[in-house]
Amino acid sequence: MSDYGSEGGGRVKGLTIVKPIVYGSIARYFGKKREEDGHTHQWNVYVKPYRNEDMSTYVKKIHFKLHESYANQNRIVTKPPYEVTETGWGEFEIVIKIYFIDPTERPVTLYQFLRLFQSQANIMLGNKNVVSEFYDELIFHEPTSMMQQLLSSSRQLTLGAWKHETDFVDKEEKTLSAILAAKSKIRQEIAELNDKLKVSKEALKVLKDEISKAEAEGEEGKDAGIKT
Amino acid sequence: MTSADVREILEIELPEQQPVTKESLFSDDKKQKVFKKEKTFKKPQGMHREVWGLLFTDPRDAPPLLPSDTSTGYKQAKAKIGRSRVRPWKWMPFHNPARKDGAVFYHWRRMVDEGKDYAFSRFNKQVPVPTYSDLEYQQHLHDENWTREETDHLFGLCRRFDLRFIIIKDRYDRERYPDRTVEDLKERYYHISNVLAKMRALPGPEAKLFMFDADHDRRRKLQLEKLYNRTQEDVEEEETLMQELRKIEQRKREREKKAQDLQKLISAADNSDRRLQKKQPKKHMVAHKLSKGGATVTSGEASTTPDTTGIKFPEFKTSGVTLRSHRMKLPTSLGQKKSKAIEQLLEELGIEQSPMPTEEVATHFNDVRCDMVLLYELKLAHANCEFEVQTLKHRLEALVPGRLASLNLPASAAATTTPSTSGEAGGDSPGKTRKISEIIDVVGNAEHPSRKRRAALEQRDIMKKLKGNKS
Repeated sequence: MSDYGSEGGGRVKGLTIVKPIVYGSIARYFGKKREEDGHTHQWNVYVKPYRNEDMSTYVKKIHFKLHESYANQNRIVTKPPYEVTETGWGEFEIVIKIYFIDPTERPVTLYQFLRLFQSQANIMLGNKNVVSEFYDELIFHEPTSMMQQLLSSSRQLTLGAWKHETDFVDKEEKTLSAILAAKSKIRQEIAELNDKLKVSKEALKVLKDEISKAEAEGEEGKDAGIKT
Repeated sequence: MTSADVREILEIELPEQQPVTKESLFSDDKKQKVFKKEKTFKKPQGMHREVWGLLFTDPRDAPPLLPSDTSTGYKQAKAKIGRSRVRPWKWMPFHNPARKDGAVFYHWRRMVDEGKDYAFSRFNKQVPVPTYSDLEYQQHLHDENWTREETDHLFGLCRRFDLRFIIIKDRYDRERYPDRTVEDLKERYYHISNVLAKMRALPGPEAKLFMFDADHDRRRKLQLEKLYNRTQEDVEEEETLMQELRKIEQRKREREKKAQDLQKLISAADNSDRRLQKKQPKKHMVAHKLSKGGATVTSGEASTTPDTTGIKFPEFKTSGVTLRSHRMKLPTSLGQKKSKAIEQLLEELGIEQSPMPTEEVATHFNDVRCDMVLLYELKLAHANCEFEVQTLKHRLEALVPGRLASLNLPASAAATTTPSTSGEAGGDSPGKTRKISEIIDVVGNAEHPSRKRRAALEQRDIMKKLKGNKS
């Protein structure tokens, strides 16, 4: 381990490290409205790494900013699991800010809309929980050597299985295939339109020539008329 | 009791002392400032206030350079009848050198002025009309349209009427000579004048030549006459036509510019298409090496043409932490219409508005959106082109009826869309693959759920009109 220096060492040029993460919220209906405060749902907002690893090697803390009606609306979590569990009655946006061990790296902000109420599809499927989960990737571009060390030396967090609510592998496949199909279709359309455009331009040119010819003839006729 | 008081009581006159002032009591050594009494000019009696104000208002102003004597004048004084000797006047003849006939007239004049010429004759200024000798005429001034007599007549009139060409034209002898316009007369006169001036020019300063362009003048007068004879309706019509013209020209310029950009775009798109098609067969997962990620990132940055002409996505070259989803964000500079078009296309193609941001997905998603924008712009350009073609066709018909049919126009794009439009209008038969481009409604602007149908219907209407025109 070399000496890191005052700023954790210089930045490693040309290096990019990608850390995929998953964040989201799960909510569950009590079944009734609680008398004392009118809360109807219990919910949990979280940030997890996509793979089974310990994020605290490079994450200093994660700050969840809740709605102002909550006491202590700023919830800070310093070690995994990075989540906040609460009860409530309404949906709102939660601001998630991830702070890194390296002080020179700026914190990253995510926005999670807390979903409590069931969609039609959900009701039909008979799901008890309302899940709103998203995949994203933290891209560390040219991290300091200290950061690089921390990012590379990740250990497994748990010994058990590591899963998410959504099957991201499947989702990725589907998304990618749809996008690629769309791409080829649009490219095709572009080529066709391009050809049509060329045809139109040709026609335009021909017409312009004809018109200028016709106008010239008209002029000659007019001049001839005057002279006589 | 002071002496002053005593004196006051006794009313003894004494040289006036300065009254006690505060300054005199309180000032120690300061010299007392005595304000000089300013000299003011008194307004002379009888003069009105405003008139006096013209001359002199503020005592502080500088006096006029030539102080005038204002004591006299403006006073309604009695007429000064001088006592000096009366000057005798006499009824006498006088000679006016300005006259050519030598007529002698009589008037009252002072004896002193006897024998002098008429004083006002010096005002008889003549316009210098050049004269020419026979030789000069034969050598230089000969002209086919003008006979010698006519030229002489013209010059005589010029002298008589002091080069007032309007009058000269009026007095021109129409019986003997052909009818000449003012421009003709002027032309002849100035031509001769210039030739003579050049000939006789003394070495030294150049002779002053008259510039007269007869043609220009004729056109100018014709135009002025037309302008003068315009009616109110004409004026309004002209105004509206001018505005329309400006608008049309502006739109045309914009369209042309866009079409130009598009051609470049298209060629760029073709290039990028070929380049990316090589990458597609390779498949890699998210957990794959960074080097590959680095390669695709740099290649994305290197190909600037598709990016800048399509959509400029925020590129992150700075060191620091970012989210993949940031790279998929649409820039705000895109504009509402294009964003809407992209949204609709994504929906139609079954893609989420913000799909799962893995590296590959992000790249392809951005590319697809670039292509969508390109498609939109192409469609726009095509529609404009078609519109222009239509207008030109109508114009040609108006100019030369029947010429249009004889032309071998390349099969216009409107014709080629018939199979697809009839499929559209016929109730969206599931077997036919619908054209993506028709979803983008370029022609209409109203928000309508059945927009796809409308676009197809519009095309059909245009087709019908075309067919109606041709037959």
